[in-house]
Order: sequence, then C-alpha cells, then structure tokens
Amino acid sequence: MNRREFGTLTAAALAVGGPFKAFADETCQSPYMPKITGQEEFVYVWTLGVEGMGDEQDKLVTIDLRPGSDTRGQVINSLSVGGRNEAHHGGFSADRRYFWTGGLDTNRIFIFDVHSDPANPTLHKTIDTFVKDSGGVVGPHTFFALPGSMMISGLSNDADHGGRTALVEYNDSGDYVATYWMPTQDDMQGAAAIGDAVADGYGYDIRALIRKNVMLTSSFTGWSNYMMDFGQMLQDTEAMKRFGNTVVQWDLHTRQPKKVFNVPGAPLEIRFPWGPNANWAYTTTALTSQLWLIYEDEDGEWQAKAVADIGDPASIPLPVDISIAADDQTLWINSFMDGKTRLFDISDPHNPHQIYEKVIDRQVNMVSQSWDGKRVYFSSSLLANWDKKGADDVQYLRAYNWDGTELVEDFNIDFYALNLGRAHIMRFGSAALYTS
Amino acid sequence: MIRALALSLSVLALAVQAAPEQIAPANCVVAEQGWAEAALQRSLSAPLGLPPVPHPADNPPTRAKIELGRKLFFDRRLSINKTMSCAMCHVPEQGFANWELATAVGVEGRSVNRNAPTLINVGYLSPLFHDGRDVALETQFVSPMTARNEMANPSIGHVVALLGRLPDYRDLFADAFGAGPSLDRIGQALGAYQRTLVAGDSPFDRWYFGGDEAALGADAQQGFALFTGKAGCAGCHTLGDRDALFTDQLFHDTGYGRLRAAQRDNPPETVPVQVAPGVVHNLDFARVLSVSARRDPDLGRYAVTEDPADRWTFRTPGLRNLAVTPPYMHDGGFSTLAQVIDFYDRGGRPHPAQDPAIRPLGLDAGEKRALEAFLLSLTSDGLGCLVGAARTQPPDNH
Repeated sequence: MNRREFGTLTAAALAVGGPFKAFADETCQSPYMPKITGQEEFVYVWTLGVEGMGDEQDKLVTIDLRPGSDTRGQVINSLSVGGRNEAHHGGFSADRRYFWTGGLDTNRIFIFDVHSDPANPTLHKTIDTFVKDSGGVVGPHTFFALPGSMMISGLSNDADHGGRTALVEYNDSGDYVATYWMPTQDDMQGAAAIGDAVADGYGYDIRALIRKNVMLTSSFTGWSNYMMDFGQMLQDTEAMKRFGNTVVQWDLHTRQPKKVFNVPGAPLEIRFPWGPNANWAYTTTALTSQLWLIYEDEDGEWQAKAVADIGDPASIPLPVDISIAADDQTLWINSFMDGKTRLFDISDPHNPHQIYEKVIDRQVNMVSQSWDGKRVYFSSSLLANWDKKGADDVQYLRAYNWDGTELVEDFNIDFYALNLGRAHIMRFGSAALYTS
Repeated sequence: MIRALALSLSVLALAVQAAPEQIAPANCVVAEQGWAEAALQRSLSAPLGLPPVPHPADNPPTRAKIELGRKLFFDRRLSINKTMSCAMCHVPEQGFANWELATAVGVEGRSVNRNAPTLINVGYLSPLFHDGRDVALETQFVSPMTARNEMANPSIGHVVALLGRLPDYRDLFADAFGAGPSLDRIGQALGAYQRTLVAGDSPFDRWYFGGDEAALGADAQQGFALFTGKAGCAGCHTLGDRDALFTDQLFHDTGYGRLRAAQRDNPPETVPVQVAPGVVHNLDFARVLSVSARRDPDLGRYAVTEDPADRWTFRTPGLRNLAVTPPYMHDGGFSTLAQVIDFYDRGGRPHPAQDPAIRPLGLDAGEKRALEAFLLSLTSDGLGCLVGAARTQPPDNH
C-alpha cells in the first residue's frame, strides 16, 4: 500500500462517518477488531502502582483526548484494581467492548468494560486462576483478539520461573479454552528449526496475518529476569544467558507451530503492515538492537533476516515498543536506555533506514499513534524493576503532533506528580465505536 | 564510553563451563509403594558415603508428614501475593537450587543478596543458611516466609491462619498430626520432607567407601589426592572414614567476601554483558548504575553475631553434586568450578583476617583439571528420584 492508496482508503472511511470498522489501527492491534480512524477520544493507560505513592495499587488511568473538552489532556478517571501485579500489556476483545490487561507478576487478568461509558471504564471481571487454568503458565503478556476468544502469550512458568512458556486461549466470557506450549529443542511439536535456530520455548508478543494464516510469536525472558532489578541482572552472567532468541511461525487456525527462526537478542514487539499484498512483519531485538524482517519469499516460504541496526547496538539502547504507520511507510521505534524515538522509512521493508530521531525524556517505552499518524503518544515505564532509578525515573504520558518532519509536544502528564505510578501500555477509546 | 567487544561462540565456550542438563524426573517407586513411602525409607537409610540422616527426637519422620511437607514446599499460595514457594528458588530440576540466577529474586522481584543453596542433603546441615542464622529445619522456614525480599508474608501467624482456611490442607494436617495447622507442625512437616532429599552413592563414594576400583577415573583420583594433600581443601571440606559431608559446618573468611565487597566499592569502568549467544558488549558502568537499585553489603556471619571477627565469614558448603548446582559461592559469583579453583589457587584475596588455610596453592593446569574431575565425581546417582518424587503433583496455585 502506498500513501495514495492509503489516503483514498482513509477518505472513504471518513465519508461513511464515525470510526472505520475494518482493517486499520491506531495502528498495531488485532485486525479483527474495529478501529478508530478518526479522532481518538480517550487513552487508557495501564499503570503500575508504586510503594509509598498514592494508593500504591495498579490502576487503569483514563485521559481525555476530546478536542474542545474542558478536561482535554487531563486524567479524568483512575480505577485501582488492588495490589501491585506488574501491570504491563493489554488488548481489546474483538468487539472492542472490553479491555483485557495482565499482571506479569501475580498473573491476574483484569477485564475492563470500556463500552458502557468509555470515559469511565469499570472492572468487569478478574481472572485469578490463569496459572492453574493453563497448567503452569506464568506472566500473561500480549492479549491478541481472535473472533470470540483472546489469545494470551505467557512469559514464564510456575515450575522454575524461567522462560519456558505457552500461549493460552480464553473465550470472550473469560473461560479457559486451551494451552499451546512453545516448541522447544526437546519437543518441537512438528515445527522445523530454520538454520541454526534453537527452539528455546520462550514467549513474548503475538501478531497474525489472517489472509496468510500466519501467526508469529517472539521471545523475551522468564519471571526471574523480568521481575529483578535491571542493573543487578546486567551484572548477573547466569541471568543474561536466559533470554529468548527465536521467533516462531504458527498456523493461526490450528495453533500448530511451523517454523522456529533464529532471531538473537530478545525479539519483542511484532508488527504486521496493513497493505493487501504486504506479506511481512517487523520485530526488534531488545538486547542486540536490530530491526528484523520476517517475510514471505518468492517461493512462499517465510524467512527472517536482520535489516537494520537501531542506534549503536554496542551501547545497548534497548529498543522496546514499535508502531507501524497505517500506510506502511514509516515505523516508530522507541529505545528505553537513551529515551529516544526514531522514525524509520520502511517503504522498502527490506531496506529500512532512519529518517528522524528525538529524545522524549530520560526513559521511554511505549508508543502509540493515531490512524492518520498525526498524533503520537509516548509513555515511560518498561518494568517496575527495570525502570531507571533516582531522577531519571520520570513517569509520564506525553502527546505530540507529528507534521511529517517534527514531533511537537501537545501535552504532558506527570504520573508521579499525580501520585499515579508508572505509565505503561496505552490504548485508545472512543464513544463513537459503540454508536450505530 | 561504551566499548563493544564481540566474542565468538567458540571463545565463550572455552571460558564457560557447559550448562548442566536439567535433572530428568525418574520414577524410583517400587510396586505398591507411593512416592512418600519411598521417600520415608530414603530418609531412614544411610546411602553410600553418607551417615544416617539425623532426625530430631521430637520429629520422627512419617509418610504423612512427608506428604504434607512436600505440598507446603511447592505451594505458591504461601507468599503474600501467591507467586513464590520454597521451590521457586530451590528448583528440583536444577538440583534444588537455581542455575538461572547468581542471587535469588523474591516477591515483586526484590533482590536477595545470596545464591539459593542446594537442599540436597540439607538434612545433615546445622547451622543453616550461608550465615548460619538458624539451626534446624523445623524453624528455618520462618525466615524466608516472612522476609520482605523473599515470600513477604506479613507474619508467620498469617501463614498459619491461611493454612487453616485452605480446605485441601485439612486432611493432610489431620493425617500427619491429628490436629490442624500450627507453627510447630508446619516446621515439622517441612523438615520431614527436606530430610528425604538425600543423595550419596557418587562415583567417588563407590570408589572410596565402596571399594570399587573402577568407579573413579585416574584424573579424579589424582584430584582427590590434591584435595586431601597439596591443595588442602579437606581441611574445611572434611571427610571421615565411613562417610563424608565435605563440610566442617564452620565459618571461614576465605577472602571471597572481602573481594566482593571491594568490587562493590570500586566498580569497574565497564561491565561485560552478554546480549545474545556469542555476543558480548562492554557496557559503561554508569549506564548500569542508572538502572540499579542500591544493594546492601553482605558481611556474612557478622549479621548474626555482630562480632567483628565474623565479618565476611561464611559457612563452609558441602561439595556433593556441584555439577548440578552452579553458580558457586555465597553470591553465585563464579559460574564454573574452574573459576572457583582459580580463586583458591591464587590464595583467595590475601588480608590479615583471612583464614590461614587459604594460601597460594601453585597448582598447574593439569592439577586444576584433576581437582575439577574429582569435584565432578561427587555427583550422585539417583538425583532423578528426588525430582520424580517432587513432581508427582503440580505446584499449588490459586
């Protein structure tokens, strides 16, 4: 898809009014769900509670984004859930009426009703049996909506808190469906290791290209590492051996692993483009600071290759969240350690190159952009014990306008000043999604 | 300044001892016996190379206590936020220790200063912990269950009350004690289970105590001669005529504690960080500090006695099953036995208070390899039985 095709598609969506309920995003979520192609009205921030701050609990924070609203750019709701659960990622159900969020530590899953009153989400249901349901999976991470169900990637397990883990599926009612363990060298489950890949059984993100029946998963590390002090871990030679080095290709419909690719250095977020003929995805490796392309070759076989460095890999900038523009032409890449966001031109996905960079703050993690790419939002927290310490531990949600050449700050919310905690994943809401 | 250093995989392989294999669970239960009966018999036996397990007079082992103790040991509900059990740090497949961390991580990721020691043959030890802060398995459990950086329960009474509310414990306590949960009964059950984690019968035992000349290779035999002779290891890692625990159960200043304190106080400019197999970057330490919480110094036995003479002294660990319990030293600072041997060959970190037994050894490369071969010969047969008995039921969760 080029920019002209994308513009036509957007104009058509706007002509019918309201949100465009097909195949697009702000911009990186499950393609099964309706998308907000106009103005996002709210941003929900899954926020980590901090000892000694406010009520110390994890909470879902709602920020008003409605143009003209008296409270635009302000926190209008904060819903505490009890405990510090290592709030991390979340995703909407396929009908976008519920927002599922996970706690990587306590394994609790909180399902918020975001459709009854999008400005004031309520806690609809809590699942606190994830480990028992799944047969020992720990660390519910990505929530990827499928029709009628939610596919959840784990990060760890209850036997040793290491990285061996599984995908776990629940139905939309919150009832357990099945567990799909990641392939390992000892139990490949019919998958093939490509090249020198060693199936490590680790997990992180999930994304799918429906028309090709391809699901990809990436690999991070187990509870012991993602919960421990980051500086301590960097100096722990044993711990540093325990990171994922693989991306797994699955048959989306049968949930069977097909191929294990060698992608060394903890591949994290996976993003597919939206173009009708774009058969590829990107992921970035946190530790080795590379951009990887997972793509279908001319013979119809999926392959993996590194296509660019992100900053200076030797300085371990730690690329974290990425966001692909809806026109498939650009990719935002945040790196935690240097607090930078970088924009890559990906018009040729095999030859991406950086075209812009900006320091957001002393640390940055998540990035989300509006469907038209004109509004870009950043949040700060990576993991409770990985965030920077002292004065560098800034916690925020920051909104920018992107004019094609420069990010211009719109507003900034200091989560510490408001006694909220650490700001992690952002997801957009809109009342217009629920009008006929 | 950041300096990058990419090392080839082959170079790393030379420098790092191969990671041990996970201990596969084995079913060692003979017909009609349950795992608990087999475990009971094991705890009442004296395997080759080990003395009989010392059971307290007021806590004789029973099958019911062992069954209850195992359930308590693996129950993740017994921490403040239901994420940690004893077994999350003492992983059966990893030698009832943890290979994946130098120092343990507790509730909410809080840092523990020390490496999780193996519990294999823990029934023979007293005092317990690297600093000897408890003397019996019947009372030891209170410390990790209530330590803020381990299981973080607000009080031990909270745990007793919780167990009283959990219906799946009602019959187990009744069978074991004819009464409900109490502090004493929890300790007795945990003690009874941990005293079943017994493993002798290593190649060394079969050679030295069993008289099987073929059980030990020549290199390991040479290593044993060094161990008891030139290297002087047996002065602290003691052995007797009929059995060997390889520990004097005393506290020594080997220089290692002071070495780690000195490194802490004088950090290097850069730290090597492995970012992928075969890829290491030297990272500016200031960058590491930016994401590091403050860590308290570890003064060892001094924390228990407050006697200045005990600063940086630690309990002599046993040496059995070292092959399956890396990393080594009280803080897991050495990944390989070769690194440990090199440290002692250098004479520790000489200073006036260092134990005089620690001195430069003058070992050549062949002698070091022989010493390592001897240490690796202390790996017991039957470890799989301990793992198999541990894993007949999944851990308790919510």
